[in-house]
Amino acid sequence: MDQSSVAATTHHDVVMEPSPYAIEKKKLGMWVFIVSDACTFGAFLFAYGYMRVGAPVWGTPFEFSSILNGVVMTAVLLSSSLTMLASVRAAQAGAKASAMKWLGVTMLLGGIFAALHLREWFKLIGEGWRLFHNPTGGAAQFGATFFSVTGLHLSHVVSGVIALAFIARGYQRDRYDASHVETVGLYWHFVDLVWMFVFPLMYLMNAR
Amino acid sequence: MSSNRELTMSSYVGIGVGLMLIVGIEVILTYQHLPTRTLLFSLLCLASLEGFVAIMYLMHVKYERPILFWTIFPATLFVLLLLCYLWPDAIRMATMRLLK
Repeated sequence: MDQSSVAATTHHDVVMEPSPYAIEKKKLGMWVFIVSDACTFGAFLFAYGYMRVGAPVWGTPFEFSSILNGVVMTAVLLSSSLTMLASVRAAQAGAKASAMKWLGVTMLLGGIFAALHLREWFKLIGEGWRLFHNPTGGAAQFGATFFSVTGLHLSHVVSGVIALAFIARGYQRDRYDASHVETVGLYWHFVDLVWMFVFPLMYLMNAR
Repeated sequence: MSSNRELTMSSYVGIGVGLMLIVGIEVILTYQHLPTRTLLFSLLCLASLEGFVAIMYLMHVKYERPILFWTIFPATLFVLLLLCYLWPDAIRMATMRLLK
């Protein structure tokens, strides 16, 4: 949205003071949500660090194949951020078909990421890792921290795919406009941003 | 910080490739068998660099008014840094020994 269109807003014939941020309310609301969510992830990652530093022996369950899987997951999520950008640009240009296509690709990539994530989870569970059990005899907290941090992130990915589907449906039916696509895109980029910290801290720091 | 000239899509693809290269560096560092503290510091620096690029370009903060950046990020960083008060206790646990 251009700056002039948010310079002054009217509500019940009263001229309101313009927003100092020059962005729409829903976008500002999304930023506030992102800040609170960043603090939540920060607290989870600090809790992981606390337990890891405090534990005398820590498990390192990830072989190279798991790290490679993580790199592929990163590439998929990063690609989905680019397709999300393409969708926002198309929506802002009024190219609805193109925006819908890129939204679909973003959802597909989100689904692939979730599938790869679950594959890694099932592999670990198959090896005997549980929330409070370490099959190698090290600190039992590894499972608790790994499954909670990555689970929180996975829930964000799944929620993001659902939100994208919801917005895409509304956008197709002209209930939503490009600003809605942009706002949900902001959330999607945040999910990508969090993964940039989760992958090195949870996977690389626990590689064999 | 604030600029109205947005990048082209191919420039964004270039940023994406750059971010993947950083991930590649992270993986290479992981297998250099560095001391844990050095590896952690290196990975956190690279992840922060990735995060900064993502925030500025993918999340478009570079193209918003600077007040958005200055309202949100120092406060968030401050809250996250406050969590560092946990470390002394974690280190105490790691070095704790039974007296008897």
